[in-house]
Amino acid sequence: MTKSYYEFFSPVKVVAGHMALEHIPFELAALGAKRPMIITDKGVRTNNLLEPVEAAFIDAESKIIAIFDDVPPDSSLQTVRAAAKLYRDNQCDAIIAVGGGSVIDTSKGVNILVSEGGDDLLKYSGAHNLKRPLKPFFVVPTTAGTGSEVTLVAVISDTEKSVKIPFTSYYLMPNAAILDPRMTQTLPPHITAMTAMDAMTHAVEAYTCMAHNPISDAYATAAIKKISQNLLHVLENPKDLDARLELAQASTMAGIAFSNSMVGLVHSIGHAAGAVAHIPHGMAMSLFMPYVLEYNQDVNGERIGELLLYLAGADVYAKTPSNERAAKAISTIRNLRDTLYERTKLPRTLQETGKVTREQFDEIAAKALDDGSIIFNPKEASLADIKALLEKAWA
Amino acid sequence: MSVNAPTSPAIRAVQQFAQGLVPSAQKAYVALMMDLIARALVSASTIDGELKDEVAGYPAGFVIQMVVMPNGSGFYLQVQQDKSLVRLDSYAGKPDLAVKFKHLTHAFLVFSFQESTAQAFANDRMIADGEVNYAIRLVRCLNKLEALILPKLVADLAVKRYPSNLSLVEKLNKGSQIYLKVVANYAGSLPELLSLLSTLKTTSGLKKTNTGARHD
Repeated sequence: MTKSYYEFFSPVKVVAGHMALEHIPFELAALGAKRPMIITDKGVRTNNLLEPVEAAFIDAESKIIAIFDDVPPDSSLQTVRAAAKLYRDNQCDAIIAVGGGSVIDTSKGVNILVSEGGDDLLKYSGAHNLKRPLKPFFVVPTTAGTGSEVTLVAVISDTEKSVKIPFTSYYLMPNAAILDPRMTQTLPPHITAMTAMDAMTHAVEAYTCMAHNPISDAYATAAIKKISQNLLHVLENPKDLDARLELAQASTMAGIAFSNSMVGLVHSIGHAAGAVAHIPHGMAMSLFMPYVLEYNQDVNGERIGELLLYLAGADVYAKTPSNERAAKAISTIRNLRDTLYERTKLPRTLQETGKVTREQFDEIAAKALDDGSIIFNPKEASLADIKALLEKAWA
Repeated sequence: MSVNAPTSPAIRAVQQFAQGLVPSAQKAYVALMMDLIARALVSASTIDGELKDEVAGYPAGFVIQMVVMPNGSGFYLQVQQDKSLVRLDSYAGKPDLAVKFKHLTHAFLVFSFQESTAQAFANDRMIADGEVNYAIRLVRCLNKLEALILPKLVADLAVKRYPSNLSLVEKLNKGSQIYLKVVANYAGSLPELLSLLSTLKTTSGLKKTNTGARHD
């Protein structure tokens, strides 16, 4: 069916491949920046992931002037202010985020403060409250999952009020995303699996939810194919840089897809399970995806069925009658999860997580019902529907 | 209802008629519908238990705005201490939640039931400024209201899934109570209603279409 109306926006330059980090100085110079500050976390530093980034600046015109490595797992207003102070104290002129979702969100917040001035980040919270471009901002992801390097959103915690503050603006998008397989080659197997399934869910929901469009579909299906073809191979061969690059690209492509098409009920329940029971996001995505697809199947089974081509390949797709493709696509995802469980112990049920009790279902369901992504789910989900889904996902 | 479900010929005819309205008529229609929706929400939140619970989920003093950008038709609602809703004529501060249609035509699409609220969000027709969970709550309130007050054929277009637990008896009972309260409410502000209706009447022409007729 023709899409009656859609919007697509993806201005982030993708610098991807082997030795991609070495392109950063040139890209900075092209934007007139010479004094970048790196924002990262202790884990990245401990794992020596900054070494290749710093090495890329040897003999370059630009120099890394400051490194802020104190980003916590959940970004906070205080962290953003502290990093902005370091940037100002050292008269930096660009930001390079090296890390995962929290580092990237923190860096987006820092970019608001150092570009707009002042320390009141809340002034810019909400939708589209920035009116001009910010400082040059590059992102070097160290996981292949969040897609934050290509999104216009940042979520930063106000720890005093215990609320998460969303920021949405086109100007939050980085100038460039640097995908270098050296940055993900040391990821342990369970993190590799979890983050790849996060990216897979971004792509699957981007394709099957209400705001899908022809351009985001192209990114989503390509991402699903890359993950399906490379995830298990990477687990067998973690040092295979080509396969690592494929996963990194898939994550970014899935990010571009969902940034334009949004996500649905898997994310609604996943966000809620994360908030209530501290289930890691990627784990929740992998866990809930087949249950939600089954729930949605009577409304958008045809689109779920189309994904079989990218999940299982042309032969399986061709051999499967069209009315069975949705169920086959879901069972393919289930089989992948079973393999991931065998190899990395990535949980498939809530019981396997060991982090949640059935007494928490009411709270999780209530939070999921209020989650922003639920509006994009093709099927209206009631509180009772979500509780039933949680029961199915229990064991 | 499925998001891509076919519409009946009668609905399509109404939609085609609506699409033919000139912008000034669309503007008047949207203004009337915004006003009606605001009053109906206030009434329905005292009649329907589910809506009452939804409104109770907002903090006291919470101000909701729905508006056509930049300064078009709209309404303000405020949650009171007792968790009832009241309409505000204006509000000087920044509302806690503002749902803004990017253009009059987009509001018209929604209020003439050519596009559901959820599909309008998915199509980037409007933006929500404020905490997202409160915007989602508002959408649920609007969905329930539409299910109660619109004929099922029309409500099917306005919501993703018509509530399966809403019986015809309950719908007629609560729907009529809401309409009665809205009428009583309008009776208290008759000049306002007459003004809205006269604007609609004077602007309800259809677009002139080029029929290809020659004027020799």
